[in-house]
Order: sequence, then structure tokens, then C-alpha cells
Amino acid sequence: MEAVVPAVKKALKRVDPVQLHFLENCVACAACESVCPYTPISKLYSPVNKAEELRFMYRKVMTVSGRLLGPLVHAKIPKTEEELEWIREVAYRCTNCWHCYTVCPFGINSGSMISVLRTFVDSIGMTPTILKAFEQFEASGRFMENEGLARVWQQILDKASEAVGGDLPLDKKGAQVLYMPWLAEAMFVPDSVVNTIRILSKIGVDWTMPSKPLAIRPAVGSVTGNLEQKKTVLSAIDSYLKEFGAKTVLLSDGGFPYTDLRFELPGVVGRVPEYRVLHLAEFLVELLRQGKVKFKSGSDKVTWHDPCKLARASGVIPEPRILLREATTEFRELPHHGAESYCCGGGSGMGCMTRELHEAMGQLTGMKFELSERESNFIAKAEEAYLKSIERKMRDVKQSEAEIVVTACPVCVETIQRGASLYGPEVEVLHLATYLVERIEPA
Amino acid sequence: MTVYEFAVYEMLPAAVLGFAAGMVYRIARYLSVYKRTVRPRRRARSIGHSLVHLVKTFAYPIYFSIKEERIMFASGLLGLHILGVIPLLFLFSHHVTWWAYYFPPYAALKRLAIPPSATSAALTVTAPVTPVSGMSGIFVNTIWGPLTVVLNGDVLAIIAIVATVFKVVEKIPKKVVGKVSYVRIGDFVALLLLLFILVTGFMATQHLPSGEIGVYKTVLGLHILGAEVLLILLPFTKFFHFVFGYWYGKLHEWYDLVWTRGV
Repeated sequence: MEAVVPAVKKALKRVDPVQLHFLENCVACAACESVCPYTPISKLYSPVNKAEELRFMYRKVMTVSGRLLGPLVHAKIPKTEEELEWIREVAYRCTNCWHCYTVCPFGINSGSMISVLRTFVDSIGMTPTILKAFEQFEASGRFMENEGLARVWQQILDKASEAVGGDLPLDKKGAQVLYMPWLAEAMFVPDSVVNTIRILSKIGVDWTMPSKPLAIRPAVGSVTGNLEQKKTVLSAIDSYLKEFGAKTVLLSDGGFPYTDLRFELPGVVGRVPEYRVLHLAEFLVELLRQGKVKFKSGSDKVTWHDPCKLARASGVIPEPRILLREATTEFRELPHHGAESYCCGGGSGMGCMTRELHEAMGQLTGMKFELSERESNFIAKAEEAYLKSIERKMRDVKQSEAEIVVTACPVCVETIQRGASLYGPEVEVLHLATYLVERIEPA
Repeated sequence: MTVYEFAVYEMLPAAVLGFAAGMVYRIARYLSVYKRTVRPRRRARSIGHSLVHLVKTFAYPIYFSIKEERIMFASGLLGLHILGVIPLLFLFSHHVTWWAYYFPPYAALKRLAIPPSATSAALTVTAPVTPVSGMSGIFVNTIWGPLTVVLNGDVLAIIAIVATVFKVVEKIPKKVVGKVSYVRIGDFVALLLLLFILVTGFMATQHLPSGEIGVYKTVLGLHILGAEVLLILLPFTKFFHFVFGYWYGKLHEWYDLVWTRGV
């Protein structure tokens, strides 16, 4: 328990004027309840209720009234194992989807506060083991020394090479476009990587990609709240891109790696990079507008699920729609879409909270994830919540009457696929690259 | 010294000073945690897009609550804010006169003043108003015309009082049964103080519990005193959203999501 106070102080070091606003100006109207994917499971998981755990600590450490009056003004520092376990539980009932941010009448981003809460959880050594393993593996830069992971990567390269019918232009200096797939994509949505490569080859772009992935999914520290890890990983990527002389960095992952590289990196590394970061959707729209690509239009009943990080947190909203409308005459929106899109429930590490994934990762890496009884219970409960959280998204999918759900984040693909098998409807869930690869061609 | 004299002559400057000091303290706290950071390159969006989304940033929570949280919208936004405290505070005829006394340009809003009742435009304490009078059917001569049926002190005060009571009551089961942590003692203090101000204001306007001048002045004095306490506490309570939190929060959100990220 002696680690608690330093951990609280470390987490609260993240308080800046914006966080201060988040901490101090909530009027407890609970407007955020209605959009959070985890509130339907319990009102105790509402954004405002989860964020209150951070506010307790903040008041105790950073306010005069909190120091003097303590519990009377809801100021306290957790003192028992149960309290710490509860904080971990609420910290891991959030996908950081930011919907609470836009629906709050005061622009309070509870997700951002829960990220600070995760910094606290991380500092007391309670980050879920699997995320901690990813985090440490990624920061070490030695994850490709693992036989299982190296094999996954090699398989991707082989498949892609076979698909394009020749050698891949790996590590080619001076290429116009540097495609950066991550190891997690290769593990969970390998087709997205292979098909992005196929698209790049097919449309004749001068492109390259690193022969080895630079990260598992950068930065895992963004998910766990470990800012040192985040800095280590993003700095290493930035140094590589700078040295490589990259002009356009292309991502197929539309989850948090996109926001990390596009919007967070300058603040973390302390400079505005000279290269630009584009998601595949943005890149293809650019080519479409330049008249360099065209599409064969079909009539699939297709909808687009906006990954929260790509849409609400990054503004890549019109681009996927432009592409899908080119590719099919039967595109339709989900009832909640764009910046108002409902989160699928899998983001910010929640999709990793399954026993199945622990087993699969154990088999793949040869690592044994030894969980205490307490953590096993935590994972079991988190898994139950995660699987329930998907239901709301699936109701939206059902209403759209789409037969294909296209999206761009590996976790969204995985989560909606799970949702379809658990709750229906029967839909195909595809990454954007996979849907477009047969429909796009050079103009 | 009577409560009324204390509220009007002694407490008022202290309340204004207290409010100013509280505001300075709160703003200084924001400055004290300022951190210099490198901002990312903003996503290119047109000025038109940014302006349209400025409006949307403020409107989305309202739109969303109408669509998904109707009870919250009716009690919180509509009852307490739009039809309750905001028009009463700024446009209720007695208040317009009060504001104009201390800040003469405010008199320009006299044309928009909301009368105490639908049937009388009496603005002074010497002309007590009967809510339903022999003049029924003839609206008081204000700029609001038939809207005076709703836009009058009686109706708005009752709406605000009902909404405030609802907001207090709805928190109790959330706290007691639901065991949520975010219902705070301070919320009850703030809402009960607001309720006190609304009820004493309503009573004073209606000359309740009696029209006797001493009783009237005591009730009015309590009303003003309550408002002064609120003014002092404002920077340290949820009422801060009214002068700062709401504006800063939504403008920051717009800057972050729309201006920078192009949402």
C-alpha cells in the first residue's frame, strides 16, 4: 500500500488546465451515461462515476478543502486492496471512445480522465498482465526475437509477396509512401495488411514498408497510461521515420496508433514532424481526387462502422464514405454514425480482456501468462462486460440492414465479428482494404 | 439592522468582492498547472466547416438529450435553465430593474422584461400582484404578447422550483440505491441554496406569507442574501459552469476536435 501515494502523485502530474477543467467542472448531470458502451452493464460504469475515482484523489491531493475536510468533500486516497481492485475495474471499463466528451454539456472528456486513472493503476503494478507484457515487449524493441511473433510477420510477408506476385519493396529508401503495418494487425487482421499491400501494388504507387514492424501497436502505453513507454515507443518511431526521410506515412490501422502518430506524437517528442501521417482512407481519397484511381461499383449492402479514434478523435469521417459510395450503390449509414457513432466496446485494451486471447497469445509467443486468482476473476468479469458491451452496436448494425460491415480498426473488426456471432445479424465484417482491393484499379 | 438592510447595504459589496476573489483564485489555479506543449499540425478544414461545427459543438448535447434523455432534458435543461433560472435571472422585471440600478446600460433590456404575472405589468413592490385577477383574459402589455402566458414570473418560478426539487429528489435513489459516487454533498447544498432563493423570491413577489411591510422586507432580504451567498460560493460550486466551465469546456472541445482534428 505504500506505493499508493506516490502513484497518485504521479498520475496527478498529468493535470494541466484542460484536465483541471475535466476534474473540477462536472455538475454530475450524467449526460455521459447514455453513450458509454459500458453503462448499460452497470450505472457504476458510467463515465462520470468512473472518473469520480480520479476526482477523489485529485481533491485529496490538490485542493485545500479536500486536504482539510477529506471525505466530507469527497476527497480520499484509496487505502484497501478492495478499493484498489475497484479502481482497476472501473479503469478497465472504458474504451476511451470519447463519446462522453462530445455529449457532455461542458466538454468534459471522462475517457481522458480514465486514462489518468490507468496511469495510477499502472504505477501500483495492477495493469492487466497481458497488456503489461505487450507494453514491455513493445518498449524493448525486441519483440521480433520471439519465434512465434517473427513467424507471424514472416507469414504476412510471404502471403503479401505471393499475392502481388513478386518481392515486396521492403526498406526502399526514397519511396514516396512508407506503409507502416503493426505486428498486432498481422496477428489479428492479417488480411488488412496483405490487402493494403495489394492495393498499393495494384495502383502503381511508389511505396515501401519496413522489413520488420516497429511496434506491436503503438503505443501500448497509451492504453495502459504508461507515458514513459509511450514516449520511448513514439520517439523510436519518430527517429526511424526522420532518418528514413519519409514523406507520407501510411497506416491501415484506424485505431489509437493513428491518433498517436497523427496528433499525439508532436506533444510527446517535442517537435512537429516533417512527414505527414495518413490513413488508407485519406490516402485513397487523395488519389481519387487526383484522378489516379477508379472503382468498379457493385451493389453490396454495405455500412461503415466509424472507429472512434479515426472518426471522433481524428476527423476521418467523410473519406471512408466517399470510397464506399464509389464502390457500391447500396451504401447505408448506421443509425449512429460519424462523430456520433456508437463505440463497439472493444477499444483501449478491452478487446484483450478475454481468456481466449490469453490462451492464444500464450500459444503463439510461448509465454505463460500466470494470473493470480484475483486477476483471473478480474479478467473473467471484464470479459463478461466486454461481450455484453457489443450488443448495442449490433442493434445498430441490424437496423441498417447491411450485409457487410466495413471498418478500419483491427479491434473493431474483431469485436463486431464477435458481436455478430453472439447477437446477430449475420454480417461479414471486413477491413476497408479487404473490401476495396477487388474494386479499386488505376485510372 | 434588518435582514433586508444587511443584504442590500452590507453584504452586497462583500459578495461582489468574494465572487471576484474566488474567480481570480480559480483562474490562477488553471494558470498554475499550465504546461507548454507542441501542438500537432491541424487538419485542413474550411472556415465554414469550423464555424458550423462551433454551433454543433454547443448544440450536440442538447440535441442528444432531446433524442435520448428526455427526462433529463425536460427537468435539467428546459425546466431549470431555459425556462427557469436564465430568463428569471436576466429578464424578470424586478431583476432588470435591479441590474439596471447597478449597471445603467442594462436598462436597454427593459423592453424585454418579463412581468410577475400574465395579467399585470406592475414592476414595483407597492403594487402587489394577484396571479389571477379581474383582468383575466387580457395579457399584460409586454413585448412577449401571448407568450406572456408562459413568460411571467409566476409560471417560470414554479417551473424552476419544480425542476430544482426534481433534481434534488432524483439524486437520492441514485446515491442510496444505486450507490453511485458522483452524487456529491455539494450538489445538494448548491441545489438547496438555489431552491431557497427561488422560493423566497417567489414568496416576496407574491407578498407571502403576508403583505405586511416588515414581513415582506424580511422575505425579500432573505432572497437577496441567498443570492449573495450563491455569488460568493459560485466559483467553488457547480454554479461555476455558468460563468466559466460551460464556455471554456465547449470552446476547448471545439478547438481540440474541430479546429485541430477536423472532426
